[in-house]
Amino acid sequence: MNADLALQLGIQGLLTGGIYGLIGLGLSLIFGVMGVINFAHGQMIVMGMYVSFWILTLFGIDPYLSLMVVAAVIFALGYLVQSTIVNRIIDYPEAMQVVPLVSLGLILENMALLFWGPDHRSPETALGLDAIRVGSATIDVSRLMAFGLAILFTLCIFLFLKKSNLGKSIRAAADNRTGAILVGIKVNRINNISFALGAATTGAAGALLLPLMPVTPHLGHDFTLIAFVVVILGGMGNLLGALFGGLILGLAESLSALWLPATMKHLVSFGILVVIMLFKPHGLFGGKR
Amino acid sequence: MMDRKDQNVKGMNRRTFIKVSGAAGLGLSLTSFGVPTLLRAEPAPIKIGSVQPATGPLAMIGQGQRRGNLLAAEYINSMGGIKSMDGAKLKLLLGDSESKPEVGRQEADRLIKEGAVMLTGPFQSGVAMAIATLCEQRQVPFVMDVAALDAITRKGYKYTFRVFITAKGLVGGAVKYLKMVTKEKKVMPKRAVVTNTADAFGKGMSGGFIKFLGKSGLPIEIVERIQYPLGIHDLSAEVARIKAAKPDIIFPVSRPGDSVILTRELYKQRVELMGIFCPGSPGWYEPEVIKDLGDLILYVLINVPWINPSSPVYKQANKAFLKAYGKYLDTNSAYAYTGVLVLADALERAGSTKPEALLKALHKTYYKDPPVLGGPVQFNERGDNIGAMTGLIQVQPDPDPLKRVKIVAPKEFAQSDKIVFPAPQLWERG
Amino acid sequence: MNRLYMFMAAALALILALPLWLDKYTLGIFVMIFYYAYLGQSWNVLTGYTGHISLGHALYVGIGAYTSTFLAQTWGISPWIGMLAGGLLSMTVALCMGYLGFRFGLRGVYFVILTIGFAEITRLIVSHIEALGSFSGIFLDFNPSFINFQFRGNMPYYYISLGFMVVSMIVVRLIETSRLGRFMIATREDEDAAEALGVNTFKYSMIAIAISAFMTALAGTFYANYIFYLHPATLFGMALSIELIMRPIIGGMGTVLGPVIGSFILTPLSEISRAYFAKGGLEGLHLILYGILAILVVLFMPRGIIVYLKGASQWIFNSADKK
Repeated sequence: MNADLALQLGIQGLLTGGIYGLIGLGLSLIFGVMGVINFAHGQMIVMGMYVSFWILTLFGIDPYLSLMVVAAVIFALGYLVQSTIVNRIIDYPEAMQVVPLVSLGLILENMALLFWGPDHRSPETALGLDAIRVGSATIDVSRLMAFGLAILFTLCIFLFLKKSNLGKSIRAAADNRTGAILVGIKVNRINNISFALGAATTGAAGALLLPLMPVTPHLGHDFTLIAFVVVILGGMGNLLGALFGGLILGLAESLSALWLPATMKHLVSFGILVVIMLFKPHGLFGGKR
Repeated sequence: MMDRKDQNVKGMNRRTFIKVSGAAGLGLSLTSFGVPTLLRAEPAPIKIGSVQPATGPLAMIGQGQRRGNLLAAEYINSMGGIKSMDGAKLKLLLGDSESKPEVGRQEADRLIKEGAVMLTGPFQSGVAMAIATLCEQRQVPFVMDVAALDAITRKGYKYTFRVFITAKGLVGGAVKYLKMVTKEKKVMPKRAVVTNTADAFGKGMSGGFIKFLGKSGLPIEIVERIQYPLGIHDLSAEVARIKAAKPDIIFPVSRPGDSVILTRELYKQRVELMGIFCPGSPGWYEPEVIKDLGDLILYVLINVPWINPSSPVYKQANKAFLKAYGKYLDTNSAYAYTGVLVLADALERAGSTKPEALLKALHKTYYKDPPVLGGPVQFNERGDNIGAMTGLIQVQPDPDPLKRVKIVAPKEFAQSDKIVFPAPQLWERG
Repeated sequence: MNRLYMFMAAALALILALPLWLDKYTLGIFVMIFYYAYLGQSWNVLTGYTGHISLGHALYVGIGAYTSTFLAQTWGISPWIGMLAGGLLSMTVALCMGYLGFRFGLRGVYFVILTIGFAEITRLIVSHIEALGSFSGIFLDFNPSFINFQFRGNMPYYYISLGFMVVSMIVVRLIETSRLGRFMIATREDEDAAEALGVNTFKYSMIAIAISAFMTALAGTFYANYIFYLHPATLFGMALSIELIMRPIIGGMGTVLGPVIGSFILTPLSEISRAYFAKGGLEGLHLILYGILAILVVLFMPRGIIVYLKGASQWIFNSADKK
């Protein structure tokens, strides 16, 4: 086995893992609070990519600088989706929740197609091509940025939920809906904010992904699947778990390149998924039932 | 907002273009018939169907194809329609396969019901298979503009034709030009990596190329073959493996999207190469790719059934395409354009819309000067176009990014007389 | 109830005679209606009646399609027999997965993800088996004959898919009215309570998933010989799994008529929106409209369209009684 290659793959796997964690974060947050699986998750990430793409091509502002704006736009989108659709289906049986959210994904994907066309767009970004060389290994700067910011975001949201008043209300509503209503928490508003917050993290993820891959309307499906695996690994609703789940998945997929062809990469991730599901059904780090 | 506005502006241009070309057509028919066309009874338009993946994962190519089909029909109409049928105009019926075989079949059936006498499309080989079988069932001629797999024309279907080059022709061209370049430049890459997307096209194409290369006598060893799923968004691990294999040259069979990721990753990981030689696949000549990759795309060599820049039909088509959509007509759109021209030519010679007459006419097709490289379009007994050929193109520096793609071989079509190979390393440019 | 059966018999007679008037394209729409109604019904057996949500039913379609095609191409076995082989294989796989899922007590979202995981894993494995065409897929030969399950016109496909749908309705009706059905419904309503009352929920879940998988696989053979191209991504992919559950959910889960009604509404809707709105320049609009309509139906008819139809039909029949 080639030690240089293994080192390189390990570094890349770790960095990709951070990004996977960020991709899973929003899904986990939304599930944790409302028990709803957002099947339009991947398409929301793609929306985030397109918004930052727009800002970049129109005003020449780099995705790292427009990050918060993108997050705010997708926050608004999330708020809208929650208040118009998700709040109405929150008490439906789980199977019924699938249709509106899948349809929402279909709508978002094709809106992207109408607005931005079908082309693969990948404009050059400021740090898009930069890399740091350490010995024989290469560290990709835009991936490193995404990795660092992903951890930062996860910690911020984690602390926000733990410390702030709003965060405490969100957790209360997540633990016990009826109880939360009884103590005077406006659960609908809390739901709107949590969904929007989850959406905002997907928007931020989108902005961080733009320098890494061409954006196209159809990209979302893969992200949704990755997010499922990440969230199951870490435990549904467990935010730090999502981050660790992402890291494990990223490392496993990347290192599998030592022995397996790239077309089998996802076989590794789904294999891990099924095994974890059976033996630790609530994730490696515990999660909501 | 700009993109949207842009599109509106373009849309307007396109409409005005149609008006102008319509008026031109009117003027033409006035002179040719001697009587004002408006006074003659307008013959019913002839309907032809186009099924393309306008939505779904291949929408980028599908919409380009659809546009090629549409502009070709407009062109035929502006030239006076089908003259042997009293100048009947072509009416292109549009179908969207959503990149799915079952939807493609249903759409084709709908267009046939709406009166399409012939069909064209559909880019994906799987959808092509579904439609080809349907056309066999319905006895409607089906002229595929692009669909690269040979399996479809090997089924012995009577009603299926293909304007696009055969896989064998494509691969053969790649090896021929590789020989030419290495001989001319007196350099020989020793170690090579082949990459391809894991789909029907990628697998068939790269497999065929490896086989042909083995038989060619060139002393090139394939040290690694990397296949990755269609629509992959991270090639860092694969490029790390490529780097570890220490190749001199890469032969990528790609799709738009992964070509960009691959090139940037090669740059970031500093993989030393003599160059990138694409044996024939999208991802290296589209205007968006050229724009987004900047200097990194320079000097890539691509073997591809390319457009013929000296053909008057191409010049006209490219002008119209540029005006309507702001980009040049690349090879897929140009083949879509050719597909409709071939259909119109068959209608012209058949003088009828009966399937038997059309089949007969299609078999006798001899369409001179198509807007794509190669000889006249002629179909063999399988329905494959024996006139199609590939060219070797290279992306070379040019202040106008729309003019960077240049034909370097065959010589009679060449737009640039020098081939840069080996190319400067990706990180040693500008 | 007698009135309902009479109405259904009349509807069936009408549908049987329909091909006399319809053109081939419209027949094709009906084929798709029946096909998706049948798929929805098969899914309904598991999810509608026992409440275990499967989002990986494409797995069984794929197994059915690949098995019968492989047998036909390799040993010339008629797809009619291969279809049953595919059904049995698919049943075996489903029982393995069901055993894991039910034994380990995976419920709700976790079972959903397990089904997705199994379908994806199978897709990736099939993508690497050369004998099954790997990721190039399989191009079928077209040799029309009854034995080969292939036909020139749409008429035979119409009657075969209609037969599939009607038989599936009868099967589900029989299950519903049997002890088996009652235990399945008890499992759905409250698994723990049913268990406490002595219902072996594991056993009934296993029976349900086996029937469901067997039925679903038969549709795969139909697909293969109607479309003539098999590809792992289209046959095992999540897109098909999702497409397949839309109709029973919108029509009404856990009812015999739900999947059928859902398909009679949704399938033409997607055809019509595509035929009218998938024009040049507005690519994607028809899918947006389709998505919006699907959301509206679920928001305003949360228990499925069938509940409202029932109300309407009762109103009609009752007012007829009064006269």
